[in-house]
Amino acid sequence: MNGAGSGPPLLARDVAVEIGGAPILHGADLTVGHGELVAIVGPNGAGKSTLVRAVAGLQGTSAGSVLWSGREVGEMRGRELARVRAFVPQRMPVPAGVSVREAVTVGRSSHLRPLRRLTGVDRDAIGAAMERARVGRFAERALTTLSGGELQRVQIAIGLAQETPVLIADEPTSQLDLGATVGIATLLRELADEGLTIVLVVHDLALAAAVADGAVIVAEGRTVADGPPGEVLTAARLAETWGADARLSEHDGRTALHVAWLAATAGSDGAAESRSC
Amino acid sequence: MARRTLVFAALVGALIAAVVASLALGAVKVPFAEVIEIAFGGGEGGPEQQIVETLRLPRTVEAMIVGAALGIAGAILQGALANPLASPDVIGVTGGAGFGAILIIILFPGSIALLPVGALFFGLLAAALVFAFAWSGANRGSVGKVVLAGIAILSLFTAGTTGLLAAYPERAPSAIFFIAGGLTSSGWDELGTTWPYFAAGFACALVLIRPLDRLALGDDVAASLGSRPHLIRLAAAVAAALLAAASAAIAGLLGFLGLVVPHVVRMAGGSSSHTFVVPASAIGGAALLAAGDTLARTIRAPIEMPVGPFMVLLGVPLFLWLLRKAVP
Repeated sequence: MNGAGSGPPLLARDVAVEIGGAPILHGADLTVGHGELVAIVGPNGAGKSTLVRAVAGLQGTSAGSVLWSGREVGEMRGRELARVRAFVPQRMPVPAGVSVREAVTVGRSSHLRPLRRLTGVDRDAIGAAMERARVGRFAERALTTLSGGELQRVQIAIGLAQETPVLIADEPTSQLDLGATVGIATLLRELADEGLTIVLVVHDLALAAAVADGAVIVAEGRTVADGPPGEVLTAARLAETWGADARLSEHDGRTALHVAWLAATAGSDGAAESRSC
Repeated sequence: MARRTLVFAALVGALIAAVVASLALGAVKVPFAEVIEIAFGGGEGGPEQQIVETLRLPRTVEAMIVGAALGIAGAILQGALANPLASPDVIGVTGGAGFGAILIIILFPGSIALLPVGALFFGLLAAALVFAFAWSGANRGSVGKVVLAGIAILSLFTAGTTGLLAAYPERAPSAIFFIAGGLTSSGWDELGTTWPYFAAGFACALVLIRPLDRLALGDDVAASLGSRPHLIRLAAAVAAALLAAASAAIAGLLGFLGLVVPHVVRMAGGSSSHTFVVPASAIGGAALLAAGDTLARTIRAPIEMPVGPFMVLLGVPLFLWLLRKAVP
C-alpha cells in the first residue's frame, strides 16, 4: 500500500534486546518485502517473540536498527507506528461484556482523533475487516462465548481494522486444534495473496513450509538462516537447531514433518541440553 | 444496544426522582409541585423557597457531583487496572484523605474549615506516593505494581489515622461523621474551592474512554494501536485521584460507591464498553448518593445521619441481586 517500490517495508539489522539486564536477542536480522508472508521459526526461548515485538516497537532495543519504510522505529510516534503495522498478540485478554463488533471497532480507533465519532469510512473498514477474517456471522456475540479459533479470527480482524500494510502475528495457532489451525493458515495465506505483508511467528514447521514465502530461523537470540522454507528447513538444520531427527516433505499440496520421535541421537540430546543451560 | 439504552434511561429516571426528592424532603417538606416551580425559576419567595435554594440545592448538586465523580473514578480505575476490586482505595486516595481530615479534626479542631483542604491535600499526596513507587524502575506502571504500592500506602495512612484516633480518644466522635461519609448543608463554599479538581478529573475521564477500551483488549493490542499502556493507567489513576480526593474533601469517605456502581452498571447493561460504563456510572453514582443523602437526613429528621451507611443499604441489595445472575 504505502511506500510501494521504495525498498522493503521492514528492514531490521543487528537488533539486540536486553530485558532486566539479561540479553535476549543479539544480532537478529529481518527483511520483509511487500506482500510477503515471512514465518519466524525457532525453538522455545530462542527470541522469536522478542524479535517481532522489537520490530513492532512494543519492546525497546539496546542496539541495531529497525527501519519501517526507511524510518527508525524508535523515532516514530505511536500513532505513526499504528499506521504501518498491526500487532496480533498470541492471546489477548477476553473481557466480559464486549462483543466481537465492539472489539473490532477498537481496532479502528487508531484512525480516530480523540473524542471524534466513527465516520462512514470507519464503519466500512470495520465491516470489511470482519468480512475478511470471517467473523461477521458472530459479530454480535460476546467475546467470552467464542472458541479459540473464533477468538483468533477476531484478533486478526482487530488487526485488519487498523488497515496497515503489515500485519505481525505472534503464534496465532499455538493453542488451536487442527481444523482451526488450517482455517487460520488459509486466512493468512489469502490475506498475503491479496497484498498484505505478514510476519508470522509459528512453531509448526509443516505449516510454515506450506504457507510462507520465506522462513527466518531464530536460535539462541540470533537469526541463523533465512530463505524459502524448503531451502532453509533442511534435515541438517532441524537437527542442529531443534536437536531432532526430522525432515519436511511436500507432496500434492500437503506438507508433513516426519519425526523420529524416539530416536534422539546422543549428539542432538547434548545440543538440546547445552541450549537450555 | 437496546438493553443499554433501557438501563441508561432507567438511571436518568432514578436520578431525576432522587433530585426532586432531595429538594422536597427534609425537616421541612416542600410540595413536589413547588419544588419543580422553584427549580425552573418560579416560586413565591417564601421561607420554603429559601430552604430549597440556599440549603437543599447546593447540597443536592454536591451529592450529584460527588456521586458522579466516585462512580467515574471507580469505572476508570477498574478499567485501567483490569481489576474488579479497584476503587479509589486502591490508589491510596481514600486512606490519605481520611488521614488529612482526621489530622485537622483532632489537632486543629478550631480550624475545622481547613478539613476539605487537609483531605484534598493528603488524598492527592497519598496517590502521588503510589504513582512515584509504581511508575518507576522495571515493569513500571504494571497492574501488580500499582495495586501493591497502593495497598502499602493505604496501610501507612490508615495506621496514621488509627494512631491519631487512639492518641486523642476524646475527639474521636467528631471524626465519625467524616469516616462514615456525609454531606452538609453549607452552601456553595465547598464546591467553590474543589470545582477545578472535579472539572479536571471529569475532562480527563472523557478523553480516557477510548484508550480504556483499547486497554481492555490487553497491553499488546493497545500498543499495536499506538497507545502506551502504562501512560493510560497513569492518566486514569491521576483522574481518579483528583475526583476521589475532591469528593472526600466534601463528603468524607464513600469508597463503597466507587467500587460498586460501575459493577451494577456493567451487570445491568450487559456491557463493559467504556462509552457506556463511564457515563452510566456517573449518572448511577449521582442518583445513588442523592437518594442516600435524602434518606440520611429524613429518616430521623431533624437529626442528620451520615450518608455512607444509607447508600450501602440502597446499593448492596441491588448489587447482590445482579451478582447472582452475572457471569463475571
